[in-house]
Amino acid sequence: MGQGVALRMGVRAAAAVCLMAALAACGSSKPEASPLVLAVSSVAKATLGRAKASRAPAKAAAPVTRADIEKFGMPILRAVIPVRSADALLTITDVKGSTVTWGTTDGTTFTQREGVLIQTRGLGPDLMSAQAPSAAALRTAGGTHQRIYYFLGEDDRSTRRTYECTVTAAGTEEIQIFQRTHRVEKFTETCGRQQGSISNSFWFEGPMIRKSRQLASGGLGFIDFERVVD
Amino acid sequence: MLYMPRRLLAALAVLSVASGAPAHAEMIPSLNVNGSTGLIDLPSGEAQDDATFSFTTALLGPTTRATISFQFSERLSGSFRFLTWRDWDNVIPGDSKLLDRGFDLRYQLLKESNYIPSLTIGLIDFASEGRFSSEYIAATKGFGDRVKVTAGLGWGRLGTDGAIGQPFGDRPALTSSDFGKPNVDQWFRGDAAPFAGVEVKLTDTWTFKGEYSSDAYVEESDIRGQIDRDSPFNFGFEYQKGANARFGVYSMYGSEVGLVFHLILDPKNRATGGVMGAAPVAVNSRPTRTLDPDAYDGGWVTQADAGPLLRKNLAKRLAVDGIVIEDLAYTASTVQIRIRNNRIDAGAQAIGRTARALSHVMPASVEVFEIVPVVKGIGASKVTIRRTDLEQLEFAADNATLLRQRVSITDAGPVPSNALGGDGLYPRFSWSLRPAFRMTEPLKGDLGLRLSASYDIQPGLVLAGSIYGRVIGNIDRSGNPSGSVLQPVRTDGGRYAKFGDPALQSLTLAWYARPAADVYSRVTVGYLERMHAGVSGEVLWKPVDSQLALGAEVNYTKQRDTDGGLGFNEYDYDIVTGHVSAYYDFGNGYVGQLDVGRYLAGDTGATVSIDRVFVNGWRVGAFATVTDVSAAEFGNGAFDKGVRFSVPLNWALGNQSKNTFGATLRPSTGDGGARLEVDGRLYDTIRDYHTDALDPEWGRVWR
Repeated sequence: MGQGVALRMGVRAAAAVCLMAALAACGSSKPEASPLVLAVSSVAKATLGRAKASRAPAKAAAPVTRADIEKFGMPILRAVIPVRSADALLTITDVKGSTVTWGTTDGTTFTQREGVLIQTRGLGPDLMSAQAPSAAALRTAGGTHQRIYYFLGEDDRSTRRTYECTVTAAGTEEIQIFQRTHRVEKFTETCGRQQGSISNSFWFEGPMIRKSRQLASGGLGFIDFERVVD
Repeated sequence: MLYMPRRLLAALAVLSVASGAPAHAEMIPSLNVNGSTGLIDLPSGEAQDDATFSFTTALLGPTTRATISFQFSERLSGSFRFLTWRDWDNVIPGDSKLLDRGFDLRYQLLKESNYIPSLTIGLIDFASEGRFSSEYIAATKGFGDRVKVTAGLGWGRLGTDGAIGQPFGDRPALTSSDFGKPNVDQWFRGDAAPFAGVEVKLTDTWTFKGEYSSDAYVEESDIRGQIDRDSPFNFGFEYQKGANARFGVYSMYGSEVGLVFHLILDPKNRATGGVMGAAPVAVNSRPTRTLDPDAYDGGWVTQADAGPLLRKNLAKRLAVDGIVIEDLAYTASTVQIRIRNNRIDAGAQAIGRTARALSHVMPASVEVFEIVPVVKGIGASKVTIRRTDLEQLEFAADNATLLRQRVSITDAGPVPSNALGGDGLYPRFSWSLRPAFRMTEPLKGDLGLRLSASYDIQPGLVLAGSIYGRVIGNIDRSGNPSGSVLQPVRTDGGRYAKFGDPALQSLTLAWYARPAADVYSRVTVGYLERMHAGVSGEVLWKPVDSQLALGAEVNYTKQRDTDGGLGFNEYDYDIVTGHVSAYYDFGNGYVGQLDVGRYLAGDTGATVSIDRVFVNGWRVGAFATVTDVSAAEFGNGAFDKGVRFSVPLNWALGNQSKNTFGATLRPSTGDGGARLEVDGRLYDTIRDYHTDALDPEWGRVWR
């Protein structure tokens, strides 16, 4: 019996040590969490993200008013990624001429040239670079151009997609962005290649892209952008 | 705000109950209970998608089969299987359990087209005791997108029921001296019997399979009485859960229930859908020379405190990405930064991040950035980037290709004479206590704790040690002496596991250097590994852009005591071993290695290995060693051979880390063909920063 107790204790102690070992690693260097912890927290994050998304789809930002946003006194762009159920307000992190990089607080960036998306970083299947038309070309009904996307594929390699595109005018409409009405002209850029076609949409307020729906990458799909504060 | 991708869940389906990716629309080539492409117990003519890596566990009455399979190329695949037969003593007295291991190889001769079926030729269990040995050709044709029909002809086990003759003559029996060697004389000999089957896709997730088997299960049924083979027909259902998991339940041979689980991984593609991790900072553009000519004045180099200040500012920016400055040297126009990349799994990305940091910190007069990745104190290569190119290409279309055309990657060269050194890097003590997992077979391993410490004395000179203690596991720790006729340089593993727990795994002083252009060297002294201690010296020649590398290694070692301590009293065995090695990168990720020399037991011979290395760091390979030790002296298995794999954890988890999980699996351990296991062999140490490894991942330089 004594042996039995000792054995049981042994097993329990072993289990405790095992649990500690699996959950933590310690050392003098900056600690990296153990794989198990990372796995569990990744799953938790993903599950939480999903639960949040299903509870409040796409309206997560609704309670935020324009006054709340404007009081920061800086340009704001809103990005919504439907497949991620992600909705974020972005601020400018870099400006080089007409090329503006917008970023979230958690290290994701979106670079636009005259409002046309040319790069993303931190999304996973990122748009690494693009040969994209100017805003003026996208506002010219009947205009044609070539568009090339360079994605970082899930195989960690650059993937190239070349499209031939045509711009069509889709009429004038009124849109609401955070309680403000904008009168805009809609243009659709339809791009085709042998394997299929995509279309990007741009809502112009004068020469400026006020709102758009643009392809980011094959793995991520489209992103909706709204220029909230100029 | 931006959530982890959902596909992550699919990869972790084993850990969680959350559902994975959507099911495939088309019929995927499925696996059989033996873990190779096929029906239930039978093979088919199909092949898995290139690079598919799968782990299969099957329970079939009193037998268990655990298999690792890898689609090595589009047409060639291999499997490594561990089999357990229980109730082995039902009729004939003896051990109640029989363990066996085997390799399969299969090659797809034809791919399916409109009128032609896919056709595969294969060898099952072709190098063991032959208990499972068979050969086959199998053809599979799809009809519509829901039905596939397979027909084939089998020899060996697959020719034991319903034979139609012996098209290629008699099948000679194996003698015990043949065990472990390829059974070439038996291939496609003896009775041949037809088999057939059908697969019907019922829904996106459910599949029905039925087959007529030509395997009579002679040994299990007639001789051992383990199972009753009442019928040649097997049928059952499979359920596909996401892209990574598949379950099957079958009625087999009229009397048994078969259960199978497949874990199916795609090493080519990240489970997270892409490279995770935060965005980089934007490149800092200098004002033009005409706008601000003063900014380009190089007078700053004469300031006494410029160096330490620049180093401090760079260190702060690089720390975000786990990059440490080993050294820094500059003139008014050129900077050389030597970096240690602790966290980012792609060298190209670490180089890009370093260049971005330099663009922010270095004064405008510095036009040339020389980035030298340092591994174990050795400069592995030198990447030279013009700052103007970095500024101009940041937002250009196809910026990775354009930058690569303008960047040069060369030998690292010596440390510049005006280098500042690192800041507090040497001498430096560090330690860690981590869980450590050791796997010797599928379903067999130990979980333990490893206490490691290292003392970096100066660049390239490291004193390091580790102690391992087992916590739980099922690795052999019988403590029985091996009984090998050779010096038990490896086969006393059970004694080392039992008597040396915890054990001092290693305690070494290692010196790494780059004595000349394209030449690297290592000298390691001390307790090199669990079983042997001594001196190990290595030299490697590897130009940065060469597919070929040549190396030589010489070791003098004594066998250590099994108690994991410092002594050498138990064995009184010392030996000089060494190899000359050639490494060749065939392209597309295939890397081969040939070692010729003397092994630990005093035998001489050669080792051939081939690995497939993926851009994201996954590796899968196989090796075989033939020496002048006879099959009888080697013991079970005839000669040393096995498979190995290594999985980067960030592939599945998306975190930034260079940790990997891997194992080397052998059908049997012998003392012939055994090499010293010393840390820090040079080829794998530096390869990551040579063009063969940097170019495929170069797209990440802007990541």
